[in-house]
Amino acid sequence: MPPLLLLPSHCPAATHQPPTSARRRASLAALPCPRAGASPAPEALLPRGLRAESLPRHVAVVMDGNARWARARGLPSSVGHEAGRRALEEMARLSGAWGIRALTAFAFSNENWSRPKVEVDFLMGLFEQVIHDSVADFLREGIRLRVIGDLSRLPVSLQKISREAEEATRNNSLLDLTLAISYSGRREIVQACRKLAEKVQSKALRAEDIDEELFADELATGRASGGSPYPDLLIRTSGELRLSNFLLWQSAYSELFFTDTLWPDFGEADYLDALSSFQSRDRRFGERKF
Amino acid sequence: MSQPSVIINLTLGLLWFIVHLAINIFSLWSRLIYNIESYLISIGLFPKYRKFQLERLKYLAIVVDSREAKNVAKIEQLLCWLSTIGVKYVCLYDIDGVLNKTFEPTMNGSRDVDSGNSHDVGANIKALICCRSEMTVEYISGSDGKEGIAKAANLLCSTYFNGDRDARGNDEIVFTEADMSGALKAIGCGGPEPDLLLVYGPARCHLGFPAWRLRYTEIMHMGPLNSMKYGAIVKAFYNFSKKYQNFGK
Repeated sequence: MPPLLLLPSHCPAATHQPPTSARRRASLAALPCPRAGASPAPEALLPRGLRAESLPRHVAVVMDGNARWARARGLPSSVGHEAGRRALEEMARLSGAWGIRALTAFAFSNENWSRPKVEVDFLMGLFEQVIHDSVADFLREGIRLRVIGDLSRLPVSLQKISREAEEATRNNSLLDLTLAISYSGRREIVQACRKLAEKVQSKALRAEDIDEELFADELATGRASGGSPYPDLLIRTSGELRLSNFLLWQSAYSELFFTDTLWPDFGEADYLDALSSFQSRDRRFGERKF
Repeated sequence: MSQPSVIINLTLGLLWFIVHLAINIFSLWSRLIYNIESYLISIGLFPKYRKFQLERLKYLAIVVDSREAKNVAKIEQLLCWLSTIGVKYVCLYDIDGVLNKTFEPTMNGSRDVDSGNSHDVGANIKALICCRSEMTVEYISGSDGKEGIAKAANLLCSTYFNGDRDARGNDEIVFTEADMSGALKAIGCGGPEPDLLLVYGPARCHLGFPAWRLRYTEIMHMGPLNSMKYGAIVKAFYNFSKKYQNFGK
């Protein structure tokens, strides 16, 4: 699984959750979660306090803090990214076990290309290795992989392995795992506009017929996340309080959960905290179409 | 039922009660601390909250749940507080346009076309003289969000196909972010990207605030509008002033 997010910064924020270990681990009694792909009813696997009917169907996560995590331990950032990869694997496993249908992870932003070439090349190599090594796990665990973003900027080998992994897992249905690599929310919007223009050009559509629904259908996530492209819950780690150009259109009604926990440390207790926070909110959006 | 099982059930029931009591006490205590802290900040007891710099906060946005946006007194009080703190530009948003309908025609202030033009917004902007200092207030709603982007796409397509088709031939259609920004400005849905967005309402989400303007905006949830506190706003601004952004680089 790709590690990533290269959006390091620091400073705590006004409204966020502090690291959960001290607050939650003492009080939670999580049931053991078997590997995703097993057939028991999700309710039997849910930790106490979570209600299956109120769980988010789609969770998005900005995986921030790998480099800071490594720096805090006097380790190279590559170790942080490896640890981040394990955190994503665990989150995917838990999502599948608890009946969450879709997980979208922000792996590498368009802005990250400005990083030092050495670092970028390292990450591209890591993504390729991780996707290649994870296909067997995806097939066993019923995970469908999608990769979204400006893939034309990725190394050819990574584009190839991504396409092959998508094709190999396209019939899986337990969990839709979407990795946003070289992704920009604004670029996604512009690309949707271009696709609509192509339809207008081919006379499949009139310009004046373009509305929100048609526009949403042309977004990369509209096709990527099987069920709903709109995350119900968007988590960002490491204390930052912004979307950083991630799912700008799709996050209109996403519950935003910001935590100080660095991504490699984001584990089951932190995930439960986020899900509990989601369930406790008064989310009454009536009949609004979004 | 045997006696041991009765004792066990009673013990478990008592434990359940104690745990919930502890959680409720903790929750009440947290709220009390929050209220006391906000009060102490508002009376200027903490030097750090009196002396922070607001230069980085050029554009502030406020998202209000539409049900709470009907509370005219609270909105006016909020604007007054913001003006007192020194905010120069605030964008007020609620998805149903309640703020637009309620405040735009009635708020004292002159329609500032120059200010609107300089910030790439349309008609819903006023230079407001509030609490003895001038503050620009922009009112937007859900129609400026996703609907605005769809209209901008409509405009881009129409403009492209009404242009010089012969020169383009079968060239691949290429739109850029600048094209989209221009189209949004042309339909009156431009506007600056807020540095900070405060959300008032029960849910911690931005409720469809114009996606194009949200790239690097710091988002802070302030709770229900009814329980807004001046000290909480000051604290939010202070925390914002300490933020560092590297924009992904």
